[in-house]
Amino acid sequence: MPVTKVLTAGIGEVDLRSIDVYRQRGGYKQWERAIREMQPADVLSLADKSGLRGRGGAGFPTGRKWSFLPKDKPLRYLVCNCDEAEPGTFKDHMLLEETPHQVIEGMLIGAYAIASHHAFIYIRGEFRRGYEIFCVALEEAKRAGYVGRNIFGSGFDLELTVHRGAGAYICGEETALLNSLEGKRGEPRLKPPFPAVEGLYGMPTVVNNVETLAYLVPILERGAEWFAAAGTERSKGYKVVSVSGHVRNPGNYEIALGTTIRELIEIAGGLRPGRTFMAVQPGGGSSACVFEEHLDWPYDYESLAKAGSMVGSGAMVVFDDTTDFVKVAYNLARFFAHESCGQCTPCREGGTWITRVLDRLVDHRGIPGDFEMLARVSSGITGLNLCPLGDSIEPFLKSVMVRFPEQFKSRVLAPEAQPA
Amino acid sequence: MTPREQNFPALLERLTPECERIIAQYEQKRSALLPIMQLFQEHEGYCSPEAMRAAAGMLDLTMGEVEGTVSFYTLLYRRPVGKYMLQICRGLACSINGAEDIMAYFREKLGVGQLETTDDGIFSYEEVECLAACDRASCMQVNLDFVYSLTPQMIDEMLVAMRAEAYSTAPMAQIEAPGRTWAISQESDISRGKKSFGAIGVPLPNNAGGVGDRSGIIMLDHILARDVEFFTKTSERAVVDARQVVEVREEEGTRAGH
Repeated sequence: MPVTKVLTAGIGEVDLRSIDVYRQRGGYKQWERAIREMQPADVLSLADKSGLRGRGGAGFPTGRKWSFLPKDKPLRYLVCNCDEAEPGTFKDHMLLEETPHQVIEGMLIGAYAIASHHAFIYIRGEFRRGYEIFCVALEEAKRAGYVGRNIFGSGFDLELTVHRGAGAYICGEETALLNSLEGKRGEPRLKPPFPAVEGLYGMPTVVNNVETLAYLVPILERGAEWFAAAGTERSKGYKVVSVSGHVRNPGNYEIALGTTIRELIEIAGGLRPGRTFMAVQPGGGSSACVFEEHLDWPYDYESLAKAGSMVGSGAMVVFDDTTDFVKVAYNLARFFAHESCGQCTPCREGGTWITRVLDRLVDHRGIPGDFEMLARVSSGITGLNLCPLGDSIEPFLKSVMVRFPEQFKSRVLAPEAQPA
Repeated sequence: MTPREQNFPALLERLTPECERIIAQYEQKRSALLPIMQLFQEHEGYCSPEAMRAAAGMLDLTMGEVEGTVSFYTLLYRRPVGKYMLQICRGLACSINGAEDIMAYFREKLGVGQLETTDDGIFSYEEVECLAACDRASCMQVNLDFVYSLTPQMIDEMLVAMRAEAYSTAPMAQIEAPGRTWAISQESDISRGKKSFGAIGVPLPNNAGGVGDRSGIIMLDHILARDVEFFTKTSERAVVDARQVVEVREEEGTRAGH
């Protein structure tokens, strides 16, 4: 299956940052149509029928997420999550910088669907350029009357506020993001209550990923059936996949879900000459590796779950035979240890210990029992934390320890070589 | 009182309208904390105690609440940093595509390690987590501007350009009287003979530097576009030779220009 450009259409060909170019291509027409011709419930049911699932990592059905909002509370917020920091993911970064108006239009439609009058976008602190581009686009949209008071004379008001993060991976977790947006430390909250009931400022809130919201624009334009026709039975529609690592043309490629992993690697130019495939991490730093026997499996939520991994944020990192998996495991463990907010002991302490053990294995200074300890400690972390960060340490480590045990075991010093 | 402390009341007065505009965007005041600290950092190079106190006053927070929040975020600096904040990606995709060599090269060239600042106050160095530009590994940010597909040659060119830029404008306190203007905090590693992130009150060669200062990156754009002459002395140890580089540069410039 080839690349299908939906969200990525026009990127690299025309200047989509300009509101005029975006409008020539039909931009903001769906926003106008939503407001003039549709009720919020119509938009919600359209999203539901399209089968759109959250593209940020969890893959939760978008329409269903919206439907959890209590009906009796009119004050509610939409928050667009652009705190993209999952290792290997760079799709939201691209959408923000290259097609900011599509992100705005998606946010507006999403806010309308849940009848919210104040939407926020939380942009990762490192994306300073993206933030500037987005602010310029938002000013244009405000001047054109798409954002603000009495939009299209309908009496519907909608404010959009841009908020910058300040360097913390954990703020991609939705309750941590809300705390950060409230000016607090970015520490995840205990759930329930879920944000749909008690979110920003204690009000019902929906947090959606950039890509999820952007897909609302083509879904409104071409219909829920069109979107649902692509993909597989339960993983419908399209997805922007960030392919990086040991491929010849790393980049963002938009595909229908269900394209095989092998096809995706080929779309990204294949492996470098003379190299052989070892593994691929299909869903960001938190996902387990899949291997050669999975190459012809479809890239979708169900198949990857069956393979013991996940679609996650859609970040595929490809490893060839030059890869030192102990080093890679160390790199990821260090990442999670560094980004742990420190609230939950298993994540805070476990991450640090795993990093230490892996550090000495990288240096070929392992102590007898290290291999077993890694397995024990990492499985001991899983499931005991407020948020998924702690649970993200085990999958990759376990998958490569099972597959390439020799790379780990050969780095343990024999008893007689141990320092006294 | 350092010049920065003397200037703070005027800065506060100048930024107050902007702070009020930020606060008005949110239903609850405290949401404005991060944007306000970012604003002060753009002007002062870091989140100074005065700025944190001012934010606490504006938002009805205690100093503890402000510091406790600021300390959570890696992009809010609680100590002054160099004019150029170099943040090299050590994320997964970069690390399997040569980032380790790039980081080693930077460390050697600058003579600093993680979270350290060069003696002349020009460069701060930090290895950071995935910057979400994995298709153009190995990448980095200079004062939050991206630089992609790094090579040692690019690093050489960058450092020369940024050093020249840093020393090209008066006043140049360090050059006029080297060593004179350094006020180092007692607890910092510098007083124990090591370079540190924590040089307090270091007057920077140009303006505030740090996040928001784009002068170096503008120069870098020129160099990458090859519309200026450049040269490198590959044997130089960073820090030490900055002045000579400028002199040679001017000589070259004179020769080329006239």
